[in-house]
Amino acid sequence: MDEGTRFLLLSLDGENYALPIARLLEITTPRDIRKDPDLTGLFEGKFEFRGKRIPALDIKKLFKLPGAAGTTLLVVKSGKGTLGVLVDAVTEILDTDQRPVPMPTGVINPSLQYYSGILRHKENLVLVLNGDGLLP
Amino acid sequence: MINSYLVFLLSGRLFGVKLLGAIEILPWRRSRPVPLSYSFVEGLIDYRGVIYPLFNLGRRLGMSGPGPVAFPAGETTQSIILLEENKAPFGIIVDSVVKMAKLEAPSAVPKKIQGVEMNYIQGIVYEDDQEILILDFERLLHAG
Repeated sequence: MDEGTRFLLLSLDGENYALPIARLLEITTPRDIRKDPDLTGLFEGKFEFRGKRIPALDIKKLFKLPGAAGTTLLVVKSGKGTLGVLVDAVTEILDTDQRPVPMPTGVINPSLQYYSGILRHKENLVLVLNGDGLLP
Repeated sequence: MINSYLVFLLSGRLFGVKLLGAIEILPWRRSRPVPLSYSFVEGLIDYRGVIYPLFNLGRRLGMSGPGPVAFPAGETTQSIILLEENKAPFGIIVDSVVKMAKLEAPSAVPKKIQGVEMNYIQGIVYEDDQEILILDFERLLHAG
């Protein structure tokens, strides 16, 4: 899919990440997330969204970052269906004409598809999350 | 054959890298961590419009020497050397840069050296009775 030039900036453990706005369905507060025995420990449980039960991913746990699951819930269109992603905070919308720079080789195992590139923002590097790569 | 090398110190040992193109030496700076990257990747840095992966060479070489000397501000006295291998830019973290030197190409087949992963060592040269381990970046970058 064409992911356009608008990104939601969010934070995990004090670092910025970006999610293409085209992926985003909703930003909300997590409530009524219920444990589900079918999900792995990377998920907090399932919540109801537009009449369906959707899994909520604790992305900080997936990324082996310290601290509890984030307190902002993003509802994201992924290649494998709708997914909830728990993040610490959303910070801003970034409109940019940058094309994300591909991840250099030798950084991460190529079979791990968590990032679709890197953006520059205010002297910092921001990792762009790959909506299709977050689900195992 | 004589080549130019940059000689640097890491965990008390001398290492050399062959000087091919331009290289940059920077004071240590914070890099952008990448969750779930290889254990020897420190992070990414953005320098003059290029994004460099920064490799923790000591960890890559399996050297158990003293870690980075941390100061209260989270900074260290270490340096970063920016290099390029097959058009792929990258940086390595070293304790200090010692000198540029013209050295004979390494002829010695690496022997086993206690505490150093020899896979990434191309050879050893001796200068003034000092042992300089010459790094093999092609392997360093592509062995996963």
